[in-house]
Amino acid sequence: MFNLIRNEQMKLFIQKSTWIMFILLFGFVILTAAITKGFEKPAAYTKDNWRQELEKQNKGYEKNMKDPDLKDDPDYMQYQMQQIETNNYYLEHDIQPASYGAWHFVKDSVYSISILSLLTIIVAAGIVANEFRWGTIKLLLIRPISRAKILLSKYLSILIFALILLVFYLIASWIVGALFFGFDGLNPKEAMFVDGKLVYDSIVGQSMVDYAYKLVNLVMMTTFAFMISTVFRNSSLAIGIAIFLMMAGTSILMFVARFDWAKYILFANTDLTQYTTGTPIIKGMTLQFSIIVLLVYYAIFLVASWFAFTKRDVAGA
Amino acid sequence: MTELAMELIDVKKSVGSKEIIKGISFSIKKGEVFGFIGPNGAGKTTTIRMMVGLMKISSGEIRICGKSIQSDYKEAAKQIGAIVENPELYPFMTGWQNLKHFARMNKDVTDERIREIASLVGLEKAIKEKVGRYSLGMRQRIGIAQALLHRPSVLILDEPTNGLDPAGIREMRQHIRLLAEKENVAVIISSHLLSEIELMCDRIGVIQNGQMVAVESVRGNESQAEEALLEVSLEAVPLDKARALLFAQHKVEADTDGAVLKFKSKKEDIPAMVQLLVQEQIDVYQISSSKATLEDKFFDLIGENTIV
Repeated sequence: MFNLIRNEQMKLFIQKSTWIMFILLFGFVILTAAITKGFEKPAAYTKDNWRQELEKQNKGYEKNMKDPDLKDDPDYMQYQMQQIETNNYYLEHDIQPASYGAWHFVKDSVYSISILSLLTIIVAAGIVANEFRWGTIKLLLIRPISRAKILLSKYLSILIFALILLVFYLIASWIVGALFFGFDGLNPKEAMFVDGKLVYDSIVGQSMVDYAYKLVNLVMMTTFAFMISTVFRNSSLAIGIAIFLMMAGTSILMFVARFDWAKYILFANTDLTQYTTGTPIIKGMTLQFSIIVLLVYYAIFLVASWFAFTKRDVAGA
Repeated sequence: MTELAMELIDVKKSVGSKEIIKGISFSIKKGEVFGFIGPNGAGKTTTIRMMVGLMKISSGEIRICGKSIQSDYKEAAKQIGAIVENPELYPFMTGWQNLKHFARMNKDVTDERIREIASLVGLEKAIKEKVGRYSLGMRQRIGIAQALLHRPSVLILDEPTNGLDPAGIREMRQHIRLLAEKENVAVIISSHLLSEIELMCDRIGVIQNGQMVAVESVRGNESQAEEALLEVSLEAVPLDKARALLFAQHKVEADTDGAVLKFKSKKEDIPAMVQLLVQEQIDVYQISSSKATLEDKFFDLIGENTIV
């Protein structure tokens, strides 16, 4: 098994397209940092000005809350409220807040994690289908190794690739963040809302939790693309369907959210943070329910892949 | 002692409701080179795909060195090396990386063995180059190299002469004879061109419409050659009388082709026929005979239009 995974990683990393992905990803991180610095102008606090700065911010938030156009948006109002409470926490406890730095940027980068899903989907869609396209599947499946084992090695290779990509993304974000916004220590703390409660805690720890939640969606979409690629033996189709669903999934969900059966849709369940921060997308959903739905989908994807790969003939082109 | 390297027992394959392989049985001994001939679409590649486990067998059994490819896949697959259709390797990897990749999928294939095989097929120099830059002949050779890495007992080559020039075909012929004679490997070669593989095979099986229509020995077996019928051409005047006489006395049915009679006969009968014609005052201008070649038999079996 180790040798099979080694083979898959070798094939992946010898191809130039894989390296181009890493270069693109790095470019994307730099672009995000440049946009953040240029447009959002994150606050820098000094010993003398941080109190004035926070009070100024609070006035801004209060003004936002009186905006008649946004009064009906509960999420927006809640966000403004939380920002004010966070600032008040610093003022009350006389803690100078940490200026925006490398770790803050890593934490915010979680919102762009779909770029990782995109790249992993492309690789997952090709790992089986390309062997058919190249014709090498015939040489692969005449070895004294069961087809199930070959398929498993390919699936695990995708997960390993996703992990390498994630680690690269985190490191790149941290380095680029440090270059653009400055180094903010090894373990900076921040006042933030976790599960609806205000806490003063490590940014690093909280970022990892945020990333872990987002990985659910990445793994599900990757496994989905892997299944389509294995069943239809066509990578473009798998990339197309998976990316379309990833992009349009939430919009589709909004259309059908009023129906009760919508809660069984995959995309209604991939964002598990809905149970910690806000309200569930569809009433009556629980964390337990979502986990079961996710596991059922996951099992279906894997079984369909396994069935298509091990039971079907490899006929002529 | 002759051991069977491969055995097919009444192998059938249905796709949907259509039966594309209709019960093929034959066996191949170790050290034997077996040619598998048939027009395109006759079922050669399907049969080969079943031999290597790429396609399931609908009914019947294929055994490699006694191990069933269906129920004992791993043990059977260990004994097989194959190229199925074109030798397609990873174009973005070098020859060495490709061989290393397939070596890892078998036990006990060392780097030393990879070097040995690379030099056997004459690719020592090109081994560090990307396979995408290889010529077709080099691709055939790297294909054979990957098939031989794990010292299989059975080597299956599907259309190996496709795209090779005459020198390449001759080189391949020498390789294959060497493998069969020195390493005792059973080799199965499929082709739609009889002339290209006739010289390297011990036996040839002809497949048509999913059925094995004939299995012929190519070399050796002189007594059989004595028995064989010859193609005879005879130029004589008057032709009609000659034909009638030959039919009456020797039960020969001859075709008229211009001023020439064509018929089949045993070698030993020819002097008597000539004597007969001379006695009956027929002028015999010329008579010639030629051995029916394998190609003629092949034409007879499957019809002229079906091969290129």
